[in-house]
Amino acid sequence: MLKITFITLALVILQLPINAQLDRSVPPQPGPPPVIQIGDYETFTTKNGIRVIVVENRTVPVVSFQITLDIDRVLEKEAKGYVSMAGELMKTGTENRSKREIDEETDFLGASISTHSRGMFGSSLTRHKKPLLELMSDILLNPTFPEEELERSLRQSRSALSTVRTDAGSMVDNISSALLFGKDHPYGEIVTEETLDNITIEKCRDYYETYFRPNVSYMVIVGDTDVKEAQTLVEKYFGDWKPAEVPGHKYQKPAPPEGIRVAFAERPGAVQSLISVTYPVDLSPGHPDAISTSIMNNILGGGIFSGRLMQNLREDKGYTYGARSSISTYRLSGRFNARTEVRNSVTDSTIAEILYEMERLRSEPVDDETLDLTRNFMTGSFARSLESPRTVANFALNIERYGLPDDYYATYLERLNTVSSEKIKKMAEKHLLPDNTYIIVAGNREVAETLEKFSPTGEVEFFDPFGRPLDLKDQEIPEGVTAENIIEKYIDASGGRQLLEKMEDLTVEMEASTQGMSIQTLTHRKAPDKYYFSMSMGGNILQEQIFDGNKGIIKTPQGEMMLGDEEIEKMKLQFMLNPELYFDEMGLEVELDGIETVDGKNAYRIFIKSQTGIERTDYFDTETGLRLRTVATQESPMGGITQTTTFSDYRTINTFKYPFKIIEQAGPQSITMEVIEIRMNTGLENEIFKIE
Amino acid sequence: MRKTLLYVIFLCLVSSGILKGQDTRIDFVEYTLDNGLHVILHQDNTTPVVGVTMMYHVGSKNEAPDRTGFAHFFEHLMFEGTKNIKRGEFDRYVEGAGGTLNAYTSQDVTYYFVLLPSNQLELGLWLESERLLHASVDSTGIATQKDVVTEEMKQVRDNPPYGRLLIETVSRAFTDHPYQWDVLGREDHIRNAEDHKFHEFHKRFYVPQNVVLTIAGDIDTEKAKKLVNKYFADIPAGTEEIYRPPASEPVRKHEVRDTVFDNVQLPLVLQAYHIPEIGGEDYYAVDMLASLLSRGQSSRLHRSLVDEQQIAMAVQAMPLALEHPGLAIIFALPNLGTGPDVLEKAINEELEKARNELISEFEMEKLRNQMENNFVNSNTTIASRANNLATYHLLLGDANRINTEIDNYMKVTREDILRAANQYFREDNRVVLYFLPETEK
Repeated sequence: MLKITFITLALVILQLPINAQLDRSVPPQPGPPPVIQIGDYETFTTKNGIRVIVVENRTVPVVSFQITLDIDRVLEKEAKGYVSMAGELMKTGTENRSKREIDEETDFLGASISTHSRGMFGSSLTRHKKPLLELMSDILLNPTFPEEELERSLRQSRSALSTVRTDAGSMVDNISSALLFGKDHPYGEIVTEETLDNITIEKCRDYYETYFRPNVSYMVIVGDTDVKEAQTLVEKYFGDWKPAEVPGHKYQKPAPPEGIRVAFAERPGAVQSLISVTYPVDLSPGHPDAISTSIMNNILGGGIFSGRLMQNLREDKGYTYGARSSISTYRLSGRFNARTEVRNSVTDSTIAEILYEMERLRSEPVDDETLDLTRNFMTGSFARSLESPRTVANFALNIERYGLPDDYYATYLERLNTVSSEKIKKMAEKHLLPDNTYIIVAGNREVAETLEKFSPTGEVEFFDPFGRPLDLKDQEIPEGVTAENIIEKYIDASGGRQLLEKMEDLTVEMEASTQGMSIQTLTHRKAPDKYYFSMSMGGNILQEQIFDGNKGIIKTPQGEMMLGDEEIEKMKLQFMLNPELYFDEMGLEVELDGIETVDGKNAYRIFIKSQTGIERTDYFDTETGLRLRTVATQESPMGGITQTTTFSDYRTINTFKYPFKIIEQAGPQSITMEVIEIRMNTGLENEIFKIE
Repeated sequence: MRKTLLYVIFLCLVSSGILKGQDTRIDFVEYTLDNGLHVILHQDNTTPVVGVTMMYHVGSKNEAPDRTGFAHFFEHLMFEGTKNIKRGEFDRYVEGAGGTLNAYTSQDVTYYFVLLPSNQLELGLWLESERLLHASVDSTGIATQKDVVTEEMKQVRDNPPYGRLLIETVSRAFTDHPYQWDVLGREDHIRNAEDHKFHEFHKRFYVPQNVVLTIAGDIDTEKAKKLVNKYFADIPAGTEEIYRPPASEPVRKHEVRDTVFDNVQLPLVLQAYHIPEIGGEDYYAVDMLASLLSRGQSSRLHRSLVDEQQIAMAVQAMPLALEHPGLAIIFALPNLGTGPDVLEKAINEELEKARNELISEFEMEKLRNQMENNFVNSNTTIASRANNLATYHLLLGDANRINTEIDNYMKVTREDILRAANQYFREDNRVVLYFLPETEK
């Protein structure tokens, strides 16, 4: 007895200092692992064929009803968009209610109801479940598809579509769909303005009539109810839904590309590139490889910060805010996608690292620590997901829809934790294809050239924001077209050689507003190369540039600087009035380099170069012959800055054509100038160009 | 947010609560350690998961005007490691234990959370105590995170269309108060900051009396208390004064109106009205008024602009829930071919109506139902309950608002809403911005 007391006392005494001197240098040990329990669900089938799944959960006074159609995807062809439109329009009018009434009643309950092309969802407080179901039933069984609602919806869709051009994410999504699946596959169809024009209310109604049938439907009921009540409710509100035969559709399985294909979409002014390394994978839900490829993907770049892409591109190199990869399994095809956004200058390095990490998983076995970490993470995620009763419902739905074994989820953790390092490597060899992938980038045009090295053919394919190829490189230069006759065509388009040669001087006043302030510029040119330029704000001159034919000067309120001979040579084209007349005499080399799209127009790209340091690329409209853009590199203390000048809104003054809108872009800055006034042959005095 | 900054504007940050009279009361215990650390424990053993969270009472409003973005940048650094956790290991500890982790920074707070299997509670406490006690960031970590945060600025703010909405608004709406800069802050402030500035920031703000530790989920409250003591009781209290800016913004007397050109395709119209702080007497009426305007398709702005006149593609009205008086923001995207002035006129007409006419009993009942529904649904997960408990404690001084906040909404009358419309949604109390495509310059 005494002994025991003594020992207990000793333990107490010992314990105090141990607590006080907590060793913070070692992580604490976990307790015994908790039991992970998957909740129960019940199922039944109604007389008209709805498969109902019920998950009872009384923790909050909320109940939800989800209807999912188990149907094949439909090819929409020239009217792409009508299927999702049909889903959207169901909620805009029934035989008993206008859209206004539906909205009013839904909101009054504080409920939410949504409809889509393959089902609907509704949720409310338990005490509102009957009016909720009354509404849902009316929407599902009696939609009228009002013509005016289609018009309204199309107007919104067109507006939304117009934003795609500035949204890198949509661009990359569109190009992925087009490349991975193609137009003959339902995953590859893309909504454009043209396909919206072909959507009719008949198509929408027909889709609804054909596919919204109880015999192909699941209804998932989750929350504050039980199976008995569910039976009564479903019978009462959806018992009149008429079954009918629903057609099925089959599609070819998409395959990864033969080698690497590089695709690019321009997003003007972008300061980051959106990169996607992606290809279709032969994986569908419940595929025997699904769990092991999921582990493999988590190691590469799944939802964890310890993932290799995240560690490499973010924590090691600081290229990006985040980098992720996914291997998704859909019924018609799986898909691998590694995606990140990085600053322009590291676009190519980032792609190289993504391909490297993919290759590394194929060639090196994964170490045990990484494998353990990943399996633990996935076990934890699985456990956490069970907090939501909806998870159990989804498990049940997947088992039914995809024909998975009944114990698929019950044995998930067991199977997860037996996947070995060898198996991961095998999966990587099979499903990670760094040599057979699309590399899709949306970003600044300057990035495109740096991507050529990834393509075995050196080719970067250009796409518009809707995934349509632009065929820049493939556009052949028509026979007989040379740099010289493009320049001549430009001279003709501007008003003709005769007019330009007779021109003695030209004065252009322009205005731009930036940050709420307006800037004025004044340019005088006198043949052949006298030049005066000033920029002012609120009457105060910010800068002047003058060239008198021999000497040049730049003046600012801070001081003056004479131009050196070298600078003068480089700026010569800028000083001259109609320099195109004299390219020959000046000994300029002009080279026709190819055809490219500038603001949606095809343009000849002409490279202009001289011994004296002039270097410029001009783009001339293949149709009108007018100049659309010039690109030159300016030296600056921060290195070379690409200066892009874009010309548009050409107007005719007498017979002379001049662009009234000029956008100057240097680095990330851009300023739009508009011509206020233009004067020709006003007999400008030499005095104007005098340098003291 | 280290991983994803929560842009308040895109979240309807209506606070949460649970219905009066339901048996779903959220029980918790709270106490304060000698060093000033406030602790909230909420036991719910339904799922074997535990959330260990730390909400520090420091956000972008505690920054100096020439050091903007520090609170958020600091959040990134707090994942870099500590004296006992090597660089890059923080994530591995949590994920290797089957957990997940993240953080966010707002104008008012910085919040870290770790969700773990419940047998790993002690690991979570060890990690968070390390952050508080032993944060140690080397220059490599600082340099890398400077790059990462710069990319974050581009990805969420400067590159995407309309990404600059919030910063362009607050920079004009606030003239004195630090809400005038955004949470991400200025790139050059972060770029140019010397390493020691970050250490000073930690010493000042990352102290026990400036944080609430909330543990929610599958715990035994008594055992959890002992563990909290073990890891946190001996951490010394901070000695420096914690900088808290006054709610200093002067009352606006004139409308501010401006145009912003951005890389967008469609123009956007935005109005921002100065409103009371979260928990302020009129805050609830303002919040309900925002719902009246744009929650659901039957809401007034949606019905008028989107459905009837068909001039807008989308319209939204929402209060920014801030500790000091903040803003209610209304913005609309037009359908193609509609000018921003037409949109603004339509918005103004609806506001005019709200200022002149009492809303109907029917609409009032609808608003109450919406609020109630929202409350029930915003408190269903362990993670959301931990976050809400901490927020209520830190910003409203009462964690039990998680159970009672709904009452404040139910007390609002139709007359309150009319009064709020007149008091706050006035021309001279607002900033109006047109976001136009660069090509229209």
